[in-house]
Amino acid sequence: MLDATMLLPRIFAPLRMVIRLSSASLVSSVRVDILRAANGSFIPSPTLAFVRHASHQTQGRANGAKQGPGKRLGAKKSGGEYVIPGNIIFRQRGTAWFPGENCAMGRDHCIYATRSGYVRYYRDPLKHPMRQYIGVVFEKHETLPYPPNAARRRRLGMLAVRTQSEPETLEGQLVVGDFQGGDGMENNTDITALPRDRTSSKLVMSRGYTFRETNWDIGRAAERANVQTKMFIPGDRWTAWRKSKARKEANAEKKRLRGAGKKPIKSKRKR
Amino acid sequence: MASVKSSIRPFNSCIRCIRQAANTNSLLNGSSIRLFSSSTATREEAQVQPPAQPNSMEKWGPLDPNLVDNKRDERRLLRRDGIQPIGSRRRRAALQTSALIPFDQLPYQCFQEARKILFEDRQEKLKQIQKQKSRLQNLVTQDPAVSGGVKAKEARIRSMRNHLNELIILADINDPMVKKKFEDGEGDMNKSIYRYLADRKWRQYKRLILEQRIKQLNIVPDILPALDPIADVDLAFGRRKIAPGEFVDSCISESIPRLKVQTFEPGEKLVTVVVVDADVPVPEKDGFTYRCHFIANNIPISATQTSIALNSLDHQPKDVKEPTPFHISSPWLPPWAHKGAPYHRLAVFVLEQLDARVLDVTQVGKTKRMDFILRSFIDKNKLKPIGVTLFRTRWDEHMAAVMQRAGFGDQVNIEFKRKRIEPLPYKRRTERMR
Repeated sequence: MLDATMLLPRIFAPLRMVIRLSSASLVSSVRVDILRAANGSFIPSPTLAFVRHASHQTQGRANGAKQGPGKRLGAKKSGGEYVIPGNIIFRQRGTAWFPGENCAMGRDHCIYATRSGYVRYYRDPLKHPMRQYIGVVFEKHETLPYPPNAARRRRLGMLAVRTQSEPETLEGQLVVGDFQGGDGMENNTDITALPRDRTSSKLVMSRGYTFRETNWDIGRAAERANVQTKMFIPGDRWTAWRKSKARKEANAEKKRLRGAGKKPIKSKRKR
Repeated sequence: MASVKSSIRPFNSCIRCIRQAANTNSLLNGSSIRLFSSSTATREEAQVQPPAQPNSMEKWGPLDPNLVDNKRDERRLLRRDGIQPIGSRRRRAALQTSALIPFDQLPYQCFQEARKILFEDRQEKLKQIQKQKSRLQNLVTQDPAVSGGVKAKEARIRSMRNHLNELIILADINDPMVKKKFEDGEGDMNKSIYRYLADRKWRQYKRLILEQRIKQLNIVPDILPALDPIADVDLAFGRRKIAPGEFVDSCISESIPRLKVQTFEPGEKLVTVVVVDADVPVPEKDGFTYRCHFIANNIPISATQTSIALNSLDHQPKDVKEPTPFHISSPWLPPWAHKGAPYHRLAVFVLEQLDARVLDVTQVGKTKRMDFILRSFIDKNKLKPIGVTLFRTRWDEHMAAVMQRAGFGDQVNIEFKRKRIEPLPYKRRTERMR
């Protein structure tokens, strides 16, 4: 029985080929019946129908996080090592260590130095019986904790500088140096713009509640600084040609300078 | 309606008795300052000298601080007489239409019954005091051999004295009149009960803040190894009161301050006042040192004599032939700070002289101002710190002028800048990193 059911599809296979080759309209009802009988006789075996469902979820929270990459925690500076302000001495999760003398605790509980000196790992039972501290001492021979009730050891960390008693520059004063004005070639008018006279220009509140000079006032800056420019004459091709030539030359020069560091320019080699 | 009125009346009078006649102008004479009152604090603030009265003020008529009940009259009272109105406006209005029944005759049965109980308790305590006193007397006259040695006898006497003092406090602590008087600032500081109440009030708030400032600003390990303030010290430059640790403008602190030292112990004391700057930068040594800004010795204070006007300490009237001994051994040096330097902590110490012994002012005056170590100064002169207050100073816009006037004109141009710290070698930037 089992053998017959397994053989049936193979027996009918050439028959199916014949049916497929002949046109659909030619298929007689008899053939269809035969086909139906053949198909109907095919019963899938119970062993193949069996599905093994997952008894344990393979993904997600249930499996727990695997060990991720190491976070590189721990001591970055050992006891006695020289540190400067900002050096991280210890990285940790939580507060296994507390900041002692000349140290502070960062946002992620790391301990960093606030003064330059030598690292000390210590306990201070008078401060807290359970905590362990990291401190920085100024001298190599010193130990922590310092004796109780002794004056703190402090460093100034500053320099006394003698300053000239110059008048302080007004706030917001803009000092413009070496302003290049005028046209490219023949009349390079070098003007060193003077600090703008604050008293003359009026600050007006514009949109957004900012006080600024008005645009027409800014536009008159050249006039105030006595910048002389040539009048523009429409149709003066001679001046226009000279200007454009000068501009092109200047651009070429600039390009050459830019490429100087890399390699010689091809055009140069041609020459 | 009439019954309501008649019932309100004694209530009003009750209120009136509570705040019947609080001394109004106390800050002016300085003898009894209304410090420990629990009522409106505004009264303490606006105590001003009554100005010379123009005629227009005369026609306002008499104004009673107990009874003024509208804004205009209150303002006039303050302007003309320099007196703050007493209590709330509502109470003053109520007082205008109430009978004056003394506090202890209020017609409330429960109140009177409670007073009776308190009175009995007081009688009991008085008896105990009598007994304790006679016991103490006996013990003092007793032979030390009988009472188990000199030391044991002294210890017993001490403990009995403590107990006696405790009883004296307990006899009065529940008295409503005592409480009322204390809250009105009329407490007699010669009496131990008022001293006790004042001490308790001080310890409940002001001393806590002072302790916190001492700790926060590291006064304790930096200047002295330990400190247990037992006297309330108020610092003021002119009329400006300075809370402990406040930043004081240099032009304000240029003049000498005045102190008010309230002790809570009986008897008169001689004190030394020292002002120390704990943050004088020394760039050569890359550290700090101390500087003494002021020393005055032999200033008498007691529970009732609290004001120390340091500016008028050695002020001698010209007509006096024999000059009284001077107090100030190191005159006031205005606090000053360099530009850019960290702030300076200036601590004002009130140091009790041992057994009220008089110190030699000229001898004390020989102490150097720079590198002044208060610890050794205290040991040398046998002093005991009883009170402390502090303020801070830093560079501000008036500092240059203050320094010029104080004779430090050459220091004005010196500015402190942060020292560049060389990075450690492995962090040095190489050509490649750029």
